[in-house]
Amino acid sequence: MRVPTLWLRWTSAAALVLGSALSVQAQEIKFWTLNFANDSANRAFQSIVKQFQDANPGVTIKVEQRGTDEHKSALRVASGSEQAPDIYFMWAGLGLGGEFVKSGLALPMDRYYAEYKWDDRFLPVALSFSKDYPGGRFGVPYTFKGEAIYYNKALFQKAGITSEPKTYDELVAAADKLAKAGIPAFTFGGTVNWHVMRLMDEILETACGAEKHDALMSMKVNWAEEPCATKAFEEFHNWTAKYTLKPFMGIDQLQAFNLFLAGRAAMMLEGDWLVGQLRDAKRLADFAVFPFPTGGKRLYGFAEYNYVSTKSKNPDVAAKFLDFLASTPVQQAHLGEFGTISVNKDVKYTSTEPLEVAWRGIFGGYDGTFVNGDQAFPLNVTTEYWRIINQVASDSLDPKAAAGELQKFIANAK
Amino acid sequence: MSVRTSAPTQGLILLAPALLVYCLFAVYPMLDVAALSFMKWNGLSPTKQFVGLDNYVQVFTQDPVFWQAVRNTVLWTVMSVIFPPAIGFALALALNQSIPGRSPLRALFYLPVIIAPIAVATMWRWMYDPFFGLFNATLTALGLQNLIQDWLGDRNVALYSMFIAYVWQTVGFSLVLFLAGLQNVSQTLIEASRIDGAGRFQVFRYVTLPALRPSITIVLILSIINSLKAFDIVYGMTGGGPAQSTQMLALWAFTQAMQLGDFGHGAAISVVLLLITIAIVIPYLRWTHTHRESGL
Repeated sequence: MRVPTLWLRWTSAAALVLGSALSVQAQEIKFWTLNFANDSANRAFQSIVKQFQDANPGVTIKVEQRGTDEHKSALRVASGSEQAPDIYFMWAGLGLGGEFVKSGLALPMDRYYAEYKWDDRFLPVALSFSKDYPGGRFGVPYTFKGEAIYYNKALFQKAGITSEPKTYDELVAAADKLAKAGIPAFTFGGTVNWHVMRLMDEILETACGAEKHDALMSMKVNWAEEPCATKAFEEFHNWTAKYTLKPFMGIDQLQAFNLFLAGRAAMMLEGDWLVGQLRDAKRLADFAVFPFPTGGKRLYGFAEYNYVSTKSKNPDVAAKFLDFLASTPVQQAHLGEFGTISVNKDVKYTSTEPLEVAWRGIFGGYDGTFVNGDQAFPLNVTTEYWRIINQVASDSLDPKAAAGELQKFIANAK
Repeated sequence: MSVRTSAPTQGLILLAPALLVYCLFAVYPMLDVAALSFMKWNGLSPTKQFVGLDNYVQVFTQDPVFWQAVRNTVLWTVMSVIFPPAIGFALALALNQSIPGRSPLRALFYLPVIIAPIAVATMWRWMYDPFFGLFNATLTALGLQNLIQDWLGDRNVALYSMFIAYVWQTVGFSLVLFLAGLQNVSQTLIEASRIDGAGRFQVFRYVTLPALRPSITIVLILSIINSLKAFDIVYGMTGGGPAQSTQMLALWAFTQAMQLGDFGHGAAISVVLLLITIAIVIPYLRWTHTHRESGL
C-alpha cells in the first residue's frame, strides 16, 4: 500500500503549507497609533516591530499612524465595524481612554496581567490607570509623560535671570525681567487648543491647590462659585497679554517650537518628549528644564496606554507584542526615544545628558500627578474649556466672566 | 423574436441603476441622519436611545457655538454669492474678447479649481503665517508693518482671510460657466441690436445679460450650495478657531459627531443645515422657473 501512503504524505504536506499560509494571514496585527513627535521614535518603533516579527515568524505587525484628531475619528468609525485595529493607542484615565473602555472597545487584560506578571514590571504610577475602569484591568502602559518649562539658557542670562524659578512669584518675576529685556517669556501655538490649555491647567493647580483643582476638573464643585477659578483665568490672561510671544492664536505648536528654537521666546511649556526633538535639532545644550512652580507636590503629566481591541481575532498575539514592547531589553535599548523615562521599572538610567538627568530629578521629586484638562474633562466640556481659554487669550472674554461661562455649559451638559 | 418596450419603460429601465445607487448612497444616508437626530448615540455603543426633540432643544438653546456657526455660514453664503460670481463674470467678459494669450489665461484662472481644497488650505495657511508668511513678509518689505495682521488668529479677520482663499479657488468655476454662456449668445442678435442703434451698454443690458440668465442661475445656485457646505477649507485653515469664531455649520456638525462623539447633536445640526439649504434653493429655483416660463 505504498501509493496511498505517499499520497497521504503529499496531501498532509500541502495541507500544512496551506494551513501555515492561512495562519500567517490570520496573524496580522493591526496597530493604530499616533504620528511620533520625532524621527528617533519613528525609527525605534520600526526597529522594535521588525525584531518582534523576526522572533515570531508568521506574525505581521501593521502599524498605521495618524494625527491626534484623525486617530480619534478613525477609531470611532472603526469601532462600529470589523475593520477595527487589534491594538490601539489611547491616553490613560477616565477621559479619553475611558470613553473607549466604557463603549466596550477595549478587551479586559486581567489574564495577560497575570500571565506576563506586568504588575511586577511597570512603574506603579503608570500602572495605576489600568485599575481605574470598572470590569477589570484595561490597557498596557506605554509611556509616562511629564510636562515642565523648557528655557533658553542664553535668553535667561541676557535678561539677568540667574537661577531657575522655584515659586510662582519667582516665575512672574522672571517673566518681568524678560519683558524688560524685550524677550517674550513663552511661546504657544493657539490653533491646536491644547497647547495654551497647559498654561491654564498649571495656573489652576497653582491657584486652587490639588484638592480643589481635582474637584473642579471632575465638575463636583461650581466653577462660578470658586474664587480660585476666576483668579486662575485672570492670571492666565495676564500671561497671554503680557508675557507671550504674539501673535500666537494663528500658529500651531510646531511653529511655536520653531520660534522657540529660533530664540524668539525664552520658555516653552512642553513634555519630556521635547528632549528627543531638541536632540534631532542638535540643540540639547542650549536649553534646560524646570517644573512649573505650582507650589504643590504633583507633577503635571499623563500616561499613554496601548489597548487590545475586543475586535481583535488574535488577542494573544497582540498581548504578546505589547509584552515585548514593554520588556526590559527593548525598553533599555530604546530609552530616551519615546520619553525620558520608561514605564518599565527595571530599566537602568545611565545617560548623563543634562536634560535627561533633570527630567529624572523632576519625576523623582513629586508624589503624584495631575492630568491635562483634555484628559480630565469629558470631550464636550473640553471643547468648551478650550473655547473659553481661547476667548480669554484673545481678549474677547473678560477673564472675570470665564469661570461662570464654563459653569453654564457644565450645568447644561449634565 | 424581439421584445418591444415603450419609451417611458425604456427610460425607467435605463434610470433604474442610477436611481438605485442614488437612493442607497444619498437618500438613505439623509433619512438615516434625520432619524439619528432624534437619538442619543456616541458612535461606539451598540444601542441608540430615542430622545425626541432633545437634540434640537440642545442645539438651539444650549450650544454656545451653534449660533456663531449659523452667522458665519450665512455671512459666508452671502459673500460667496456676490464675490466669486462677480469676479468670475468680469474675468469672463475680459477673456471673451480677442486678447493675446487668451487660452493660457483661461487655463491659469481655472487652475485653482482643480486643486484639492485641503491643499489650498495648507498653501494659504503658510502664506498667512504671521511670522514667516508671504503676506506679512511683503508688508514688512514694503515698510507697511502697521498693516501686519494675525490673519488666521485674529477673530475679527480670520473669516475674511479664509474667504479670500476660497474666492481664489472658486472664481475659476464661475468664470468657465459664464464664458460658456457668453459664447452661446447669438451674434445675430447682437448685430441686429447694433444696427438698431444700441450702444455697448445697451447691447450688454438687453441682449447679453438676458441670454446669460441660465448661466447666472446655475452659478448662483451652485455658489449657494457650495458655500453652505464649506468644510475642507475651514478645517484645513483654522479648524473653526480661534475660539470657534470661524466655525461653520457643516464643520460643527462633523466636530460634534466625529470628534466629540455626540452623533445625535451632530445629526440635528446637519438637518438644520439641510433645511436652510432647501429653504434657500427651492424658492430660488421656483422663481427662475416662473420667470423663464413667462419669458421675463
